[in-house]
Parts: sequence; structure tokens; C-alpha cells
Amino acid sequence: MAQPNLRTRQLTKRFGTRIGVDALTFDAERGEVVGLLGPNGAGKTTTIRLLSTVLAATSGDFSVAGVPSSRPAEVRRRVGALPESAGYPRYQTGLEYLTYFARLFGHNRADAIRLASGLLAEFGLADRAARPISTYSRGMRQRLGIARALVNDPDVVFLDEPTLGLDPAGQLQILHVVRDIAARRRATVVLSTHMLAEVEAVCSRVLILDRGRVIKWSTVAEVTAAVGAPRSAVIRVPLDQIGTAVEAVGALPGRTVSAADERPDALRVTTTGSSDGMNAVLAELLRASVPILAFEVEGTRLTDAYLSLTGDAGAAADADTAKGAP
Amino acid sequence: MAVAGQECRDLWLSGRGPLLLFAFSLLLSAFTYLAATNQAINFLEQREAVNLTLQIAVAVGVLVTLLVSADGISGERERGTLEGLLLTPVSRRVLVLGKLAAALTVWFATFVVSVPYIWVLGRGVSVVGQALLLSLVIGTVLAVGLAALGLLVSGLSASNKVSIAVSFFILLALFAPTQLPGGLPKGWFGDVLGRLNPVGAGLHYPTAILVNGHEWTQDLNYLIAPGVLVVLAIVPLTLLSDRIVQLEPGSVR
Repeated sequence: MAQPNLRTRQLTKRFGTRIGVDALTFDAERGEVVGLLGPNGAGKTTTIRLLSTVLAATSGDFSVAGVPSSRPAEVRRRVGALPESAGYPRYQTGLEYLTYFARLFGHNRADAIRLASGLLAEFGLADRAARPISTYSRGMRQRLGIARALVNDPDVVFLDEPTLGLDPAGQLQILHVVRDIAARRRATVVLSTHMLAEVEAVCSRVLILDRGRVIKWSTVAEVTAAVGAPRSAVIRVPLDQIGTAVEAVGALPGRTVSAADERPDALRVTTTGSSDGMNAVLAELLRASVPILAFEVEGTRLTDAYLSLTGDAGAAADADTAKGAP
Repeated sequence: MAVAGQECRDLWLSGRGPLLLFAFSLLLSAFTYLAATNQAINFLEQREAVNLTLQIAVAVGVLVTLLVSADGISGERERGTLEGLLLTPVSRRVLVLGKLAAALTVWFATFVVSVPYIWVLGRGVSVVGQALLLSLVIGTVLAVGLAALGLLVSGLSASNKVSIAVSFFILLALFAPTQLPGGLPKGWFGDVLGRLNPVGAGLHYPTAILVNGHEWTQDLNYLIAPGVLVVLAIVPLTLLSDRIVQLEPGSVR
């Protein structure tokens, strides 16, 4: 049986008495996007630094494309990473920057320039190739950083909050890049983010950390189903039908109905349990001949599951931010 | 080679290197002017004027080199560019040696700038060649030792400011005793102190040759301290590079 592309076993990092990551164990396959979630200080960045060999583990091990962590230089040849707060030399051009990194991965000068030019074109930066990085926008720098993470055509790519500080268009662009890396390059992408909508959009599985420990490792659907998190939606109906609507939905088991934020023509419906809970609500309204003027799911199911799993104030704040994400 | 080349480009094309060199040139110009006028009114013998300028050129050139190297690791950390380098398969030893090589280009540039000053002051007393060779040899040894020390300090410092301040203090502590009025305390203790101080001993050697007319082989023991400095700085820098080049100073990788 083929070995997973990324394999970790009991990977642990301690900083003195503080636990950074505790007994991290998971496997990820080629072409898969893994979401790395957790409140601030949960160990996401430490995990990425361990798996990219920037930090050495206190115990445990991992392998990338079959190369064990005991050979860190070889592991680095097979991974690419965009660190959380990556800095860029102000005076270098995008082309010089990528060429330099390509040379550090063993390419000769001509090959390095060719590779750098190709990556700049792929990431829509060809027209800025000869301009200093200091003139790039934040989105362009993030794309340049991801391009740098790909100079060695890695088997595993780690992206630490790649959409942080980007406008919605920039965020979508990055998500497109993430999908593309997994699909076209067949690399495993580990995406660390607080934006849960992003995770739902691109990730096949999620790894949720809390205080360095894995609290959930499964598919998005399994996470939400396992937690059985409540889900709410705002439904707008004609004002004269509001009583009928409340009566119809209120009769359904497992649903609660309340007024929606001072809007007399809207209801907030909260449901728990099966994934088709909202479908049943809509079906019941139609059966009662109540026209549905608007229907809006509040937040995402992953957000609810995440909050239920981590359950701290910091996480709630992070998730609130995520609700504004595309 | 790629690391050293890029470090050099960063240093010289970012404007940091040229700015430091310009400041060095201004200082050396002012100092050479003073030495030349003192020489004109017979306060200084011509050989002494050459030696004095050489000493300032070496001391300041080495200081500038030390300051550049003191920014090498801590500066990268603060600018957020270190992690990118650590993600490459290049060993940390190669990274520090590349930075050391780049820092040394500053010393060689200051040496080149000092050549015309020493040539102008030394015309007519046939010491120019000797002075330049002494400056190159002593300066290079001190620059290698202190640049390596600067990188060590940079790797272990909590911030770039701390690194630069500590490095500056180290050079000041080593250089100041050589500039005391009347020199170091006399007697065996002063002699030992003078020989132990790599900067003091290194700068004493050209004085002995240029001013006192000693043979090159006569005071070789003054070169022991600068040599020891090179060994004591380079060896830990290369052997402990994995511990020194860290995202967090002093942490175990």
C-alpha cells in the first residue's frame, strides 16, 4: 500500500513546560486540501513550522512523500510554505526574489530565471516582474509568496493564513490558487486559516487544534454531523402571512422560531439534528402556501461546529470574522 | 555562492552599503585633513600621520563591518525574511557564511576608499606600500573575527537594536583602550592587556613597523590575539549555526 503523502505520528513540540503541539497524528493524500483550524495559540503555526522543519520536534516523527523527518534538508526539498508573516526584501524585484530562491533549491542561474518567469506568469505577476517588491500590493505579495513556495515543485504546500488582510477579490484569487495547486500539481495543501468559509469552500478534510491537541480530524461533513451543531436561517415572508408561517414551522419537531432583529416580516428558524432540517422547514412553508420572499442561512455549519468544539471567546470572535468572508 | 551573492546585492543595492561607505569617507576625509595639517605644523611626523590614518581606517572599517554583520540574523528575523530562508535546503552554516562574506565586502570597500588617503599622506617617505599591506592584512583578520562575532551576537540577541548596541559596545570596549591618553597602563599587566585585546594588539603591530621601524617578524606575537579572535568567533559560528540561526533567539530548533 502506498504511503500517504504527508504522515505524522505522535508529533510533539514543547517550549519549556508549555506545549506547542501534542501528539499530532494524521495522514493526508496527494491532491487533498487540509484545513488547519483552531483558536489563536492552538498550535497551527507551530504545526506548520514543525512539518516544514523550521522547528525540530520534541518527539514523534513525520514523513513527506516518504522522506522521514530525520532527513530535514531532504524534507525541505519536498515542501513549500508561505509563513504567516512573511517578509520580503524591499529592493528586490519579483523576478530576482524567485530566481534567488530557485537557486537556493539547486537550479542554475538560467533555469532559475526561466522557472521564476514561469511562476510570475502563472500568478499574474509577469508585468510586475521587474518592479521592486516594495511597490506590490498585499495581494500581489501573497501571490508572490505562494509562487516562492512552489519554486521546488513541492509535494506538500503549507499556507499559513494566506488570505489575511486581503480584500474579497484577493481572497477569492488565493482560494482559486489553493484549489489549483491541489488539483493540477497534485500536491497536498495544508491551509491554516480562521476563515471557516474558506475551509468549507476548498478543504476536503479539517484538522482542528486546541491548545496544541487535535480535537477533530475528519471531513467537513463529518465534523458538522458529529457535533450536531444548531443551524439557523432567516426567512422573509409577506407580513400578513407571518402568523401562518410561525404556526407551520413551529409544528415541526426540533425547530425553534423567533423574531428576526426587529423585522416584522422575518423569522429566525433554528434547527438541530439532520442535515436536511432547513429543507423540511421550506417544504412546510410551501405546503402552507406561504410565499418565501427571502431565505438566508446564518453563518455556516462548520462555524457552528467549530464553535461547539473549541467553545471559547477567542474562537467566537474568529468565527464572527469568518462570517464576513466570501 | 548564491547566498553570498544575494547578500552582497541586498547590502549594496539597498543603499545600506553605499551609505555606510559615504559616512566612512567623510570621517576619513576629516581625519586625514587633521593629520595633514598637524603634520604641516610639525606636531606629527609623516610616518605617524600615515599610521594614525591607517588605524582610524582599520578601526572604523571594522566597526562598519561589525555593524553590518550584527544586523545579519536579527535583522532578517525582524523583517520576517528569515523563515523563508530556513525553508530552503541550504544549511544554516552556509547561510551564516554567506552573510559573513557579504559583511566582509564592506571592509574591503572601506579599505579601497582608504587607499588614496594613505597614499597622499605617505608620499615621500616610502611607507605607502607597507602601510597598505599592513592595513589589508590586519584589517582583514580583525574584520573576519569581529564580523563573525557580530553574527554570533545577532543570532543570540532578542532584537536587532540589542544586537547592534551590544556589537557597538564590544568594539568600543576593545578600541577605546588603544586611544587612552598615554596608552595602556605600563608594566607587565598593561603589556598583557595590550596583547590580549585583539583590536589593540592588531593596531599595535603596524605602529611597531611604520613608526618604530621594527621588522615584520619582530612583533608577530601581537597578531596572536587577532588570530585567536578569528578562531574563537568562526568556530562557534559554524559549529553552532543550527542553534544560532533560529526564528526565536536562543531557542533549540
